[in-house]
Amino acid sequence: MTRGFFALLGLVLAAGIAALYWGTDGFRVVTSEGARELAVERSPRAVPDVALFDQNGHAFTLADYRGHTVLVDFIYTRCPTICSVNGDDFQRVLTRLQKNTGDRKIDLLSISFDPANDGLPALQLYGDRFGAEAPRWRIAVPADRHGLAALLKTFGVVVIPDGWGGFVHNSAVYLVDAQGRLVRILDPDASEQLAVATERVAAQ
Amino acid sequence: MTMAATATRSAISPRAAVLAYLAVSGIVLLLMMLLGLTMRLAQAQWINVQPDFFYVVMTMHGAGMVGIAGLSGAAVMWHFVRRHVPVSTAIFLTNLVFFLIGAVLILGAGFIGGFGAGWTFLFPLPAHSGSLWSPNAAASYLVGLMVIGVGFLLLHLDIARGILSVYGGLGAALGVKQAFGLAPEKDGPPPAVTASTMVLIVNILGILFGAAVLVVSLVNLYVPSFTFSALVAKNMIYFFGHVFINATIYMAVIAVYEILPVYTHRKWKTNWAFYLAWVLSTVFVLTVYTHHLLMDFAMPTWALVAGQLISWLSGLPVLLVTAFGTLTIVYRSGLKWNPAAALVFLGVAGWSIGVIPAIADGTIAVNSVMHNTQWVPGHFHTYLLLGMIAMVIGFMTYLTNPQPRYGFAWLGFWLYLGGGIIFVLAFLLAGSESVPRRYAVHVAKWLPYDRMGSVGAALAITGVLILVARFFAGMRAAAYAEDPT
Amino acid sequence: MNTRFMSSRLVAATGLWAILWFAPLRLALERDMAVHMIVQLPLLACVGYLLAVALRRHEPHWIAQGDWLGIPGLLLVIFATSFWMLPRMLDAALADPLIDLVKFLSLPLLVGLPLGLSWRRMPLLGRAFVWANFIPKLGAIGGLYLAAPTRLCAYYRLDQQAVAGWALIAVAVALGATWFVVVFVGWPAADGEAAQTCRAPQEAA
Ligand code: HEM
Repeated sequence: MTRGFFALLGLVLAAGIAALYWGTDGFRVVTSEGARELAVERSPRAVPDVALFDQNGHAFTLADYRGHTVLVDFIYTRCPTICSVNGDDFQRVLTRLQKNTGDRKIDLLSISFDPANDGLPALQLYGDRFGAEAPRWRIAVPADRHGLAALLKTFGVVVIPDGWGGFVHNSAVYLVDAQGRLVRILDPDASEQLAVATERVAAQ
Repeated sequence: MTMAATATRSAISPRAAVLAYLAVSGIVLLLMMLLGLTMRLAQAQWINVQPDFFYVVMTMHGAGMVGIAGLSGAAVMWHFVRRHVPVSTAIFLTNLVFFLIGAVLILGAGFIGGFGAGWTFLFPLPAHSGSLWSPNAAASYLVGLMVIGVGFLLLHLDIARGILSVYGGLGAALGVKQAFGLAPEKDGPPPAVTASTMVLIVNILGILFGAAVLVVSLVNLYVPSFTFSALVAKNMIYFFGHVFINATIYMAVIAVYEILPVYTHRKWKTNWAFYLAWVLSTVFVLTVYTHHLLMDFAMPTWALVAGQLISWLSGLPVLLVTAFGTLTIVYRSGLKWNPAAALVFLGVAGWSIGVIPAIADGTIAVNSVMHNTQWVPGHFHTYLLLGMIAMVIGFMTYLTNPQPRYGFAWLGFWLYLGGGIIFVLAFLLAGSESVPRRYAVHVAKWLPYDRMGSVGAALAITGVLILVARFFAGMRAAAYAEDPT
Repeated sequence: MNTRFMSSRLVAATGLWAILWFAPLRLALERDMAVHMIVQLPLLACVGYLLAVALRRHEPHWIAQGDWLGIPGLLLVIFATSFWMLPRMLDAALADPLIDLVKFLSLPLLVGLPLGLSWRRMPLLGRAFVWANFIPKLGAIGGLYLAAPTRLCAYYRLDQQAVAGWALIAVAVALGATWFVVVFVGWPAADGEAAQTCRAPQEAA
């Protein structure tokens, strides 16, 4: 062993482990999806007050939801896969929440990120498919591009073309509390956990 | 072609290093045998063991035994291949250190963490403990295996480096040309080199697959969203596990090639058939693992058929030339039997006999009935306990020159042989009555076999205890002695 | 090693770097996961390797001395490559040009350069050991990508991820087969220059 070997080795080890620690948020996440969930859980973020309109053509803003707990998901109505799964999950959650919480104020909001295709008729059709009725469950689209961009950024939604004219996007359900803060990012497939987390936030 | 080991700065002599390997192996062997006895006593309902602890014991016994089989096999191989190619004592010792670190991690996983997924850690079982053990215990086990794998990899690569520096290519070191009559037999490599080369080829590949699947299992443990095809993982684990355990016997058999000539004053004959056998077995061992998958209907038919044929044939070539060579070298040699010669001779016999049930097991018709019965531990305990381990103890006895206390050694030998036979027969008999393997609790009908096995095991352990104790008594002197010639 | 040689390597290194950074090509290579991982990242490492070849003579003494058997240098390479293997880092590089720049600097300087400096200090055994660890891990990561039911990178589709998985496995198998054949048939340069055999595939990768 040569002089300076241990010093160099120690340096590399320390720097390397520190970098990996930082890169995985303390060895907890390896994907950006995981990082996003963890970041939101640790420090809830305020959602921007964006203007949208829903399947009935009503204009509203996110600020209108103050005092309500909202479950948000992002969709595009032509979606053949995840979005309809999400729609089903939402339906199930809705039924369950209605049973358990009576009229405690929990709302659902599906936001389309495809304003070019999702006009009023498309929103209506999607809403009918899953029996969504505003204002309890709104199918909405942002009123302008800036609003959409702000939403995608805050919620951390990444939308990429799927190569077949549609989109691929991270599917998740976003829980916004009564103060208008994004507090949890949840797995839509685990509807049990989803409902439990929602009830807990709503009860606060 | 003989040459001294490359100069290393390690203060420990190569001979002392080999003795250190054997000392560790001897102690762990005895401890693991006691764990084995614990299982048999529990199944016999002579002692009371909680089922979850039974599986911890079973996992530790399996991992520990496979581990020391590899360790002691490596000692045999290194000791003899060193006579022909340059190898590093420092690397040899590094492997021992890695082994000990890995062993601590594995024992911790079992006896502190309660890990009991079986030594083959079949994916994704380590992550599904039903809260019997934590991910950390599973990780400790997997990392322990990985550390041991790293040590063995280093050792194998170093021996490969040594062999390549003398023979240029592994093909030449295996004796491929001699096998096909393309070069004169007398120019062929010595048997220790041929056998080591085969071990290096199969084990390095096996360890690489094992490392890959360990990485996958570890990632899955902590990031469950990363999954993996369970069938592919199983293939890889069995490839690694089967190759590794098979290779231990090919390492240990070098002791037969080197020790019998000493006592019979004859040379071990290396003709074209000898080389051909090793070449064939190399190819077969690499494919024999498919026989573990005979029960997997997900595998395509051709793989099943190939697996069946190959498991009939895999070890046979080497076994045949070795058994034949052993008989011819001993026959009318005027050999005066001593415990060392008797042990390596027993090793060849145990190996040969142990393969017969293996072949029966490899036949699909029997496989679907037998594969999960005690027939299986019956067959592998025969060729491991009475084959592989016999060769290793023979080597230990050979190094620690048995002269002074022959009588004592003979007592150990007969206890070990007699007890061992009773012990493996109990497994085989129970297996043919369809008693399942890996059951912590046995029904009353099976108890006679379990009790017979327990008695046999206790006798065998006493015998091994005597032989190992003898080794320790002679170890100091052996460190400065020369090999008997 | 004369100055002409040195400067030609330096020019090659910076030229390669600049071409890779050139926006249309950069975006094109990053559009597909497999190409990103198997073409762009290794080429960036190559830039650093070229740098190392050019600057070898000027290596600071403390590095040359402390880098015993090339171990610290190789460890650095392992850490840096592991870091850029984290799916979220690939994502971050796509989302943020600044992070992409960090990638463009760290892969040459923390992977290629130390590799070029440390590799020749490694004894044969060490090199073989590195290969023996690198190949199965490449395959394992490929297998994980292939089997993951969900997308690991927000910017890549599931089918791209599967292609990347297969590509990694293919590279691993190719490297492993080459290695095996070389060792089995013979060490082509058994007389002293065995180092060459190890370096050649390294540069190709
Ligand atoms: C006196 C000595 C020994 C005793 C009493 C013993 C006992 C046992 C018992 C009771 C089992 C469980 C059988 C079952 O499935 O029901 C077992 C499994 C096993 N033994 Fe031994 N054994 C001994 C020696 C050895 C040796 C020398 C080796 C290898 C070198 C070995 C390797 C194994 C392995 C690999 C398993 C499989 C564990 C599993 O199924 O996961 N044993 N042994």
